[in-house]
Amino acid sequence: MKITINHLTKAFPSRNKKGSEVIAVNDMNLEIPSGKLVGLLGPSGCGKSTTLFMLSGLESPTRGNILFDDQDVTTLAAERRGIGLVFQNYALYPHMTVEQNIMFPLTNMRMPKDEAKARALDAAKLVQIEDLMARKPSELSGGQQQRVAIARALVKMPNVLLLDEPLSNLDARLRLQTREEIKRIQRETGITTVFVTHDQEEAMSICDIMVVMKLGVIQQVGDPQGIYDDPSNLFVANFLGTPPINIFKGRISNGQLYIGSEAVLERPDLADQEVLVGIRPEGFIYDENGKFTLDLDHIEVMGRDKTVVSTHAESTKPTVRSIIDSDVKLPADAKQLTFNLKPNKVHLFNAETEERIY
Amino acid sequence: MTKDKNNLPKTEQVDVQQTSTPAEVVTVGESLEVPTLPTKERVSRFLRSQQGWLFVLPALLLMCVFTFYPIVSAFVNSFKQEYDGLTDTFNGWGVDNFVRVLKGDTGTGGASFLQCLTNTMVLTFVSVPLSTFIALFIAVALKSIKPLQKAYQTVLFLPYLTNSLAMGAVFLTFFQVIGTQRQINAGTAQLGMVNDLLVWLGIEPINWIKGIGLESKKDLVWHLGSVDIPWTKYVIMIIYEVWSGLPFKILILFSALQSVNKQYYDAARIDGASRSTILWKITTPLISPMISYLLITGIMGGMKQYSAVVGVFGPQMGTNYDMGTMVGYIYNYLELGQTGYAYAGSLLLFIIIMIITLINLRVSKKRVTY
Repeated sequence: MKITINHLTKAFPSRNKKGSEVIAVNDMNLEIPSGKLVGLLGPSGCGKSTTLFMLSGLESPTRGNILFDDQDVTTLAAERRGIGLVFQNYALYPHMTVEQNIMFPLTNMRMPKDEAKARALDAAKLVQIEDLMARKPSELSGGQQQRVAIARALVKMPNVLLLDEPLSNLDARLRLQTREEIKRIQRETGITTVFVTHDQEEAMSICDIMVVMKLGVIQQVGDPQGIYDDPSNLFVANFLGTPPINIFKGRISNGQLYIGSEAVLERPDLADQEVLVGIRPEGFIYDENGKFTLDLDHIEVMGRDKTVVSTHAESTKPTVRSIIDSDVKLPADAKQLTFNLKPNKVHLFNAETEERIY
Repeated sequence: MTKDKNNLPKTEQVDVQQTSTPAEVVTVGESLEVPTLPTKERVSRFLRSQQGWLFVLPALLLMCVFTFYPIVSAFVNSFKQEYDGLTDTFNGWGVDNFVRVLKGDTGTGGASFLQCLTNTMVLTFVSVPLSTFIALFIAVALKSIKPLQKAYQTVLFLPYLTNSLAMGAVFLTFFQVIGTQRQINAGTAQLGMVNDLLVWLGIEPINWIKGIGLESKKDLVWHLGSVDIPWTKYVIMIIYEVWSGLPFKILILFSALQSVNKQYYDAARIDGASRSTILWKITTPLISPMISYLLITGIMGGMKQYSAVVGVFGPQMGTNYDMGTMVGYIYNYLELGQTGYAYAGSLLLFIIIMIITLINLRVSKKRVTY
C-alpha cells in the first residue's frame, strides 16, 4: 500500500501558558511506494516517532493529511486503518500466553477460534516462535518477545507495518540478527513497512528508503548509499557513517580548496568563499608526498584495516579519523603524516547555511 | 602456629564440600583430626552467628505479649469446660464449649452462633465483591475523565475519613421512621428518605430498622431453619458496607490504574479491542494483584465486622442480636461472663477466616498475574 503524507504537522501545546507550542513534525511531505521498507532516521526529539504514531492513528495531526493509496485516513480511527504496530517495549500483554497475545487482534475481529488459531500459528512460524506458543511473555528473552510483537502486528495481515525503535531493547548481537530478520519478514510478506530508529547503521543496513529527519523537518530522502555518498547538508553528512565524517574549516581560493595553508584539492568551478569541508574517514590515501598534513596522535589497528587518529588545527572535532588499508606501511615514529584525498569522499558545505555546495 | 590452625580448617572444609567421592573424603578426614577450634573461639563464633536475635528482640517481645500469648491462651481456654474467668476454675477439659456454641445451646439467652455466622457471611460475601466491582467501575471512569479529576477524587475519598458510628447514624436517618406507634398508625410519622422514595413509587413504606411493613404490620423476615434472614436490615447493612468500603477501594484501584503502562492501551486500540474488551481482558488482569488484595483484606475485615452494625442497629445489634456478627457474638458472651463460649467463638472465627483466606490465596494464584 502506497502511503502519501501531505504537509503533515504536529504541534504539542506547551506545558506552561507562557511558553510557545512545541512543533514535533513540521510541514512534512513524503511519498512511500508500496512494498518498501522505509526507515525514519534522526536523533531523539526529531519527530520520527510522532510521525509513526500519526501514521498509526494513535496521534492525530495538527495539520496536513495522510493517504493510504487513495484513501484519506487522517481522521480514521487507529483500529480501522489496517495497520500493525510494534512498540518499542513490545507492549505484550503479560497475563496472556504468546498464542493469546498473537490471537488478540483476531478475536477482536470476532474471527472463529479455529481460524484464528491457524492464522496465529502461521504468523508465529513466520517469525519462528511456533514452539513458544504456550509461554507467557515474562518467560521469553528480549529477542523472542520482539518476535511475538511482530507476529501480533502481522497476524491481521495489515496493509502497513509500523515499528517503533524495533531493535533498541536488544543486545548488540541480537540486534544484528533481528534486523536481518525484519528484512526477511518484510520481503516475504511484501507489506509496506515503516520503522523508526536513531541508529544510522541499523537504518542503512536494512532500508530500501531512508528518511533523515532533524527537528521535525525532513533533511533528505533516498536510498541509504545514495544519501551517504551524496548528503544534502552538513547534518546528514555528519549523522551518517561510523566513524563519523571529519569536518574542517576551509576556503576556496583561485579554484583551489585550502585547509589551513595547504591546497588539498582542485575545485576550479567554485567561486572564492569560506567553506566547511567534510572528508569521510575512507577518503584519505597515505602518500609520503601527500598534499594534506595531519599531526599523528595514535593508530588503532582493527585487523581488516587501521584507523589513523590524528589532530589538525582547522578540524572542528577534537580528532581526525582516517581509515586506511592494513597493508599500507606507515613510518614507525612519524610525528606527521601526509595524505592525498579521494575527491568523491570530500564534500563542501556553505559555512553559514551548512548546505552542500559541492 | 595459631595462625596456621585458624587457616587450615577453613580450606579443608571447602574441600570436603567440593569432593563427593568417598575415597577423597577419607584422606581429608585424616587431616581434619589435627586442627579443631579452641572452645573459646567456637563459643564466640556461635554467639556472633546468633546476634541477629538481639535486633528482633523488641518486636518479638511485643508480639509475644500482644499476639502469640492471646492466641495460645484463647486456644487453651476454649477447651476448659465451664470455665470461670473470675476464679480461674474449670470443670475438666473437653470440646463442650464448641458443641454448645455450634448447637446454640448456651443456656444464657445470648446471641445465636449460627445467626451471627449467617449474618457475617451474607454481609461479607455480598458487600465486599459488590463494592470492589463498583469501585473498579468508578476508578476506570475516574481515570478516563480529565477535567476536575482531582476534585472528584477528593469527594470520592471523603467517606473514608468519616467515623463509622457517625455514618451509621446518617444511614439510620435514611431508613428510619420517626414517631410513636400511634403516629405511625395515623400515618403522621416522619419517614426517612428511602421510605419517601417508596411512597413516591407507590410502594408500602417499610420500617427498615425493625423489619416490619409500616401499614400491613407484616413481619418482613424470612426464616431458614433456626436462622432468621431479616432482609430489610441486610439491605441497610449491605448498602452501608458497600458505600463505606468504596473510597479505599477506589483509591487503591485508581492508583493501580495509574501504574498501568499506557502502551498496553495503545496496543489494544491498534488491535481493535472494544471498551469492554479493554476493561475485562486488559485492565482487570493487569491490576488483578490489587483486586485480589482488596478482596482478601475486604473479606477478612468483613468477617470481623462489628462497629458498623452497632452504629446502625445499636449495641444489641438489632433485636436480640438478630443482626449480630461473629465479633458481636464474642462480645456478647464476654459481657455475659461466659468466657468459655467467647473463647470457643473466637477460635471458630479464627479458623473460618483462615480457611476462607487459604481458599482466596489458592484461587488468586490461578487468576492473578503478578
